[in-house]
Amino acid sequence: MDRNKAFVFISLIVSVAILLSGCASPASKDAMVAHSVPITQHHQKTVSIKTQGGSETGAMDSSNISNSDLAKAIEESIVENGLFTQVIHGDGSDYLLNVTIVNMSKPMFGASFTVRMEAAWSLSEQKTKKVVMRDSIESSHTATMGQAFVGVTRLRLAVEGAVRENIRQGLMGISRLQLD
Amino acid sequence: MIRKNWLTLSLLAVVILFNSGCAVNRATATLDPTADLVGIKTIYVTKFAPDGRGINLLISDKLKSMGYSVNTGIDTPKDVDVIVTYKDKWMWDITMYMIELTVIIRDPENNFPLASGNSYHTSLTRKSPDEMVAEVVNNIFKQGVENGQK
Repeated sequence: MDRNKAFVFISLIVSVAILLSGCASPASKDAMVAHSVPITQHHQKTVSIKTQGGSETGAMDSSNISNSDLAKAIEESIVENGLFTQVIHGDGSDYLLNVTIVNMSKPMFGASFTVRMEAAWSLSEQKTKKVVMRDSIESSHTATMGQAFVGVTRLRLAVEGAVRENIRQGLMGISRLQLD
Repeated sequence: MIRKNWLTLSLLAVVILFNSGCAVNRATATLDPTADLVGIKTIYVTKFAPDGRGINLLISDKLKSMGYSVNTGIDTPKDVDVIVTYKDKWMWDITMYMIELTVIIRDPENNFPLASGNSYHTSLTRKSPDEMVAEVVNNIFKQGVENGQK
């Protein structure tokens, strides 16, 4: 009898876990915003942002970052930290910031998930096309079972953390530049 | 019977709690807007340290077939036009297969990723290592063509 009760209990837990987990959820834009970045110089210039290397999260996929969410997270981070005076959508900005995700290492199995990411950050003057920064930025983040019990949620947290750290380092690098 | 159900449930629970996702097929390439692939003549393919299958040789052969002068090994020389790095990931499903390949073309001066390509194919649509290399490399240079470059 006790065994039957335990079996029903475990069945319920597994059913709830299945319903809660689904297969994957995309990284949240808000969770990727880098707050309180130590900015060396606030540039009195405008910038537009281009992102590449991201991908949508399919129903049968693991957590990914869409290019639009990455761009929005970078934009919000720039605005919140006052790195540039304005982020411009389209033409007419002083600088073009391109961020490309070139590598995202995600574990497939485990208790703690560590995601490692490399992104190429380049900043160029829009008028002259002069390249003022080219940087390969590597970051990582570990999410534990204490933070999220379900694997796909844990992976999403690790992805968001790695992106947030990458944006933080990218903004710090740009803030150290002497822009004309 | 109860023991069998327990086993099934336990396995299911382990998969749900420890697995990070399911299946996907993807092939993408990127090119930094400040990068120029036109002038590339000499390439060095740096062997990925954990690679015991010689994927560096497959990439090297593919690039040679495209007309480039290519060398490969464990170094990171500065006297070439670009360095190619890669990372291969393998899975087991009846047999071992390459599930993911990422190839990055870098500036030898500062390691900056000028262009990159990634292919991800799970078991049912698996490709051979040769096919994975060809797909990734072709996609990278196709990206260059679409941007008005070589």
